[in-house]
Amino acid sequence: MKKTLIASVVALASTTMLCAPAMAQETYFPIIAKGFSHQFWQAVKLGAESAAERNGVSITFEGPNTEAEIDKQTDILNAAIAKKPQGLGFAALDSQAQVPALQKAADAGIPIVAFDSGVESDLPLTTCTTDNMAAAAAGADGLAKAIGEEGEVAAVIHDQTSATGIGRRDGFLNRLAEAYPNITVVDVQYANDALKATETIKAILQAHPNLKGIFASNEGAAIGLAVALKETGSGIVGVGFDSGKTQKDAVRAGELLGSITQNPVGIGECVVDSLAKALAGETLPTTIDTGFYWYDATNMDSPEIAAVLYD
Amino acid sequence: MNVHDHSLDPKPVVELLGIEKSFPGVRALHNAHFDLRRGEVHALMGENGAGKSTLMKVLTGVYQPDAGEIRVDDAVVAMHSPQLAQGMGISIIHQELFLMNHLTAAQNIFIGREPRRGMGLFVDEAKMKADAAAIFRRMKVDIDPAGEVGEMTVARQQLVEIAKALSYEARVLVMDEPTSALNGTEVEHLFEIIRDLKAQGVGIVYITHKMDEVKRIADRITVMRDGEFIETLPAAETPMSTVISLMVGRELTDHTRASGAGAGEEVLRVSGLNRGSIIRDVSFALRKGEILGFAGLMGAGRTEVARAVFGADPVDAGEIRVHGKPCRIASPRDAVARGIAYLSEDRKHFGLVTGMSVRDNITMASWTRFTQNRIWMKDGALAEVAKEYVARLKVKTPTIAQETRLLSGGNQQKVVIAKWLLRDCDILIFDEPTRGIDVGAKSEIYEMLKELARQGKAIIVISSELEEILRLSQRILVMCEGRITGEIDGATATQESIMTLATQRDSEAA
Amino acid sequence: MTETTLAPAAPEKTGFLTVATLQKAVAFVVLILLLGFFSLFAPNFAQWSNMVNIMQATAVNGVLGVAVTFVIISAGIDLSVGTMMTLTAVIAGLILTNAGLPLPFGVVGAMLFGGFMGAISGACIAKLKIPPFIATLGMMQIARGLALVFSGAKPIYFNDTPSYYYISSGSVITRLIPGLEVPNGVLVMFGVAIAAAVILNRSILGRYIFALGSNEEAARLSGVNVDMWKIVTYGLSGLICGVGGLLISSRLNSAQPALGLGYELDAIAAAVIGGTSLSGGRGTILGTIIGAFIMSVLTNGLRVMGVQEEWKIVITGIIIIAAVYVDTVLRKKA
Repeated sequence: MKKTLIASVVALASTTMLCAPAMAQETYFPIIAKGFSHQFWQAVKLGAESAAERNGVSITFEGPNTEAEIDKQTDILNAAIAKKPQGLGFAALDSQAQVPALQKAADAGIPIVAFDSGVESDLPLTTCTTDNMAAAAAGADGLAKAIGEEGEVAAVIHDQTSATGIGRRDGFLNRLAEAYPNITVVDVQYANDALKATETIKAILQAHPNLKGIFASNEGAAIGLAVALKETGSGIVGVGFDSGKTQKDAVRAGELLGSITQNPVGIGECVVDSLAKALAGETLPTTIDTGFYWYDATNMDSPEIAAVLYD
Repeated sequence: MNVHDHSLDPKPVVELLGIEKSFPGVRALHNAHFDLRRGEVHALMGENGAGKSTLMKVLTGVYQPDAGEIRVDDAVVAMHSPQLAQGMGISIIHQELFLMNHLTAAQNIFIGREPRRGMGLFVDEAKMKADAAAIFRRMKVDIDPAGEVGEMTVARQQLVEIAKALSYEARVLVMDEPTSALNGTEVEHLFEIIRDLKAQGVGIVYITHKMDEVKRIADRITVMRDGEFIETLPAAETPMSTVISLMVGRELTDHTRASGAGAGEEVLRVSGLNRGSIIRDVSFALRKGEILGFAGLMGAGRTEVARAVFGADPVDAGEIRVHGKPCRIASPRDAVARGIAYLSEDRKHFGLVTGMSVRDNITMASWTRFTQNRIWMKDGALAEVAKEYVARLKVKTPTIAQETRLLSGGNQQKVVIAKWLLRDCDILIFDEPTRGIDVGAKSEIYEMLKELARQGKAIIVISSELEEILRLSQRILVMCEGRITGEIDGATATQESIMTLATQRDSEAA
Repeated sequence: MTETTLAPAAPEKTGFLTVATLQKAVAFVVLILLLGFFSLFAPNFAQWSNMVNIMQATAVNGVLGVAVTFVIISAGIDLSVGTMMTLTAVIAGLILTNAGLPLPFGVVGAMLFGGFMGAISGACIAKLKIPPFIATLGMMQIARGLALVFSGAKPIYFNDTPSYYYISSGSVITRLIPGLEVPNGVLVMFGVAIAAAVILNRSILGRYIFALGSNEEAARLSGVNVDMWKIVTYGLSGLICGVGGLLISSRLNSAQPALGLGYELDAIAAAVIGGTSLSGGRGTILGTIIGAFIMSVLTNGLRVMGVQEEWKIVITGIIIIAAVYVDTVLRKKA
């Protein structure tokens, strides 16, 4: 074990050094995500790397340990700016708190492209993102149709403070309120990991025996939804968000009705492509919608969908 | 030498009348009286558990009495907090000092009521230092108000405590065993300060076990026993044997003196033991069946030698032979494996696991012997053997499941002895074996040590009480400044001969 | 209690309510009160299916609570139990999914690895004299980092080992007693608790843990090999974390490498609510299990009532403080 450890440390150190912009001529973009351990970010990274190769630029892909560590992310951002890169990709954990740090990059003349969630300022040239409100509304539509547009439903949201959490929650709730007057939302709870989501959903099922459907707002919540439905043997309709093997298997087996996937690979490509375009002097629209897809057992193996799903 | 001021103001500053105080399961004070006059030293005496400390805690507002009256300047007072007592000029200096080691002397003295400046936002360190220096001048001591208390000797720390009490304009000062950690010179210095305070009209309550001190410093003596007031006597006219018999409630019998090295085989030989300047070239031998006394002043290095032999502290050099075989003792575990046991004076910290039962404490060093497959405890066997030792050593405890913290000092010591006997240790090193133990229980412990020696155990007794050393030891080794300055036969030794060796410092020895 | 004689106090004869049993009783009474409260005010709470939910929700925290109880009684602390659980889950994934070995290897491997890492914490504390808080704080980060490194920051799934799911889910009891649907994970928790209680009360290790926690120096001067027993204690904690890792990854049918942070505080809270003293020397496994149940009943009940997560956290905090306050009051009265 010791040897592996040393080997991996050495490997890690050398990759970092290789990636560092030692040569001033080479075009280098640091890409700062909200995290790296989640599968979603791994897929974004994949897209960014392939676009980097296509454009002949070098990138680094970093992020804090968890999506709550705003301060850590700001440190990473400052370190990246200090390297004087030619462009910067940034997925802000907080849409306002990190504006001053970004201002430094803008002052240094570094073009900025925001991704995943926006920044409340005009500093980024563009934002590559999923329209979370629209995506969650599509989930609401799927759920509503499956339960005959009437009855009780609930939602489990992964986070009460982030832009994605708020956007998906409001997108889901607003759509139901506007289009489906016979559907009542009986409970909205929050759970930030798969086990806590499991327990939360089981408690919701307990409290509301007449419940017809549940919406889970990210991969962790969706895993919890799949596990809870399996453990209770409940036949209600579940709709998830993002992908991941557990969720995909549950959709394929019919345990979950379906799910919304973003296009993480597309987001990654969008960031690097946009930065390259900005350097070439092209003008960019304020936001680039990278799109989302509704998938269920019937369409998940189609090439278009399969390409954006990840394990 | 004696300064008995006969122009005393006969009206008491404080008076305690008919004080009653009970704790769950025990009556600590019953009909206790005490009074203190201006400018007198009033010794409060009694065995451990006689209620001296409890009574003083009532006086200083730590405990509220169940019944009785506290009068200050002839007015009845409800002494509901130590702060109130301090405000009235009544301060106590506990046996264990309550100082903050990382703060300076001045900061300790004025803690909680620091002089302020800058609209009360900042501490006026300069004024605080000057005030502290003034108090030290009044006491005629040379202590740096800016010095860290943790760096000072115990004697100096005590002076800081006294200064703190004086800073409250103390009229009454309670001193609980103030000399227990002081050496001869330091005691003399303390007495001078006490005399000065007396002259300034401060009344002093002096709690002690030491008769000679009482004789020298006290004006009156009050004796307590079993929580009750026994008698108040003038110190000058009362023979100490009277005081002792009042304390114990019976006459003490005289004891026989032992002598000779004993004919037993040599079980322990220590040669050339060295550790910095703390242990310097210490060599000695111990035989089966003998009690070897280690005498000396506080800090002479006796405890350090014992801990080194026991493997509790590392040494620079030295050879230890057990039963003739040289052996390496690097930890208490090694020592115990060779049958050496060390019984610390501080039983609560080093001897007992006070939160555990009598059974567990007696068997602790032997637990490995009472297991099945080296994993599971044989609790039945443990209980049996614990009961056997409780009976053998006459440990007074309701059951073997009793937590040892609830036992008296003497019974705690017996539990520790039982632990080592059960572990088959045949070399027993006792460090202050009767520290914190009642006069009555002391003689029982002495008999036990003698009996153990008769049974063939080899015993070392370290004691600061000369009487104890003389009463127990066949041979006496005297230490001073880390060296052994001499050996005396138990039968011919006198307090004077021991003290001469105990104060034989380097310069004089050369 | 207030007999006024000079006879030595005999607390054993003050009745069957000694402090220890009173404390346990208090935690138990709180548990019953909570169950009663939610039965009255949370619709659909008082159903067998929900009791099963609660038991299942207690399993992981209960097991981690037991792990940390050993260490706390020895006057230490283990902040690494949460991430250690995650690391052992990843190890099980490596053995079963990546290496494709049979189930027993994964189970034993995860537990032994946990024990090994725990022993490293113990060695840092015993040999390098690093305070337990610091040593296990470091181990918490090491375990978290290694979990991400070993898994490649991706979840490891157990789809190749279908039987893995039955460690936590499914019910052996139902087969024996039809209708009694207690999930296996709950049985594992009770099994761990019983084994732990036996070790704590009957084995020489348990005896040394109490001795170390009450007065380490006295134990050392009694010739006890203090260093070794500390290493064994932390190793045992790590081993039990391994069981926790199996439970959670079996339940989620995947080892989630990013999970686990914060679970150590829930485990410590369970132990403290159950009357384990953070200053060492005092505590019971039963208390910890009751503490873990109090926490999950509270969480479940508030969720069934529809109370927001935020308030649930606040109320848990209040319960922890109240529990320790009651403990202090009882201690003073004794």
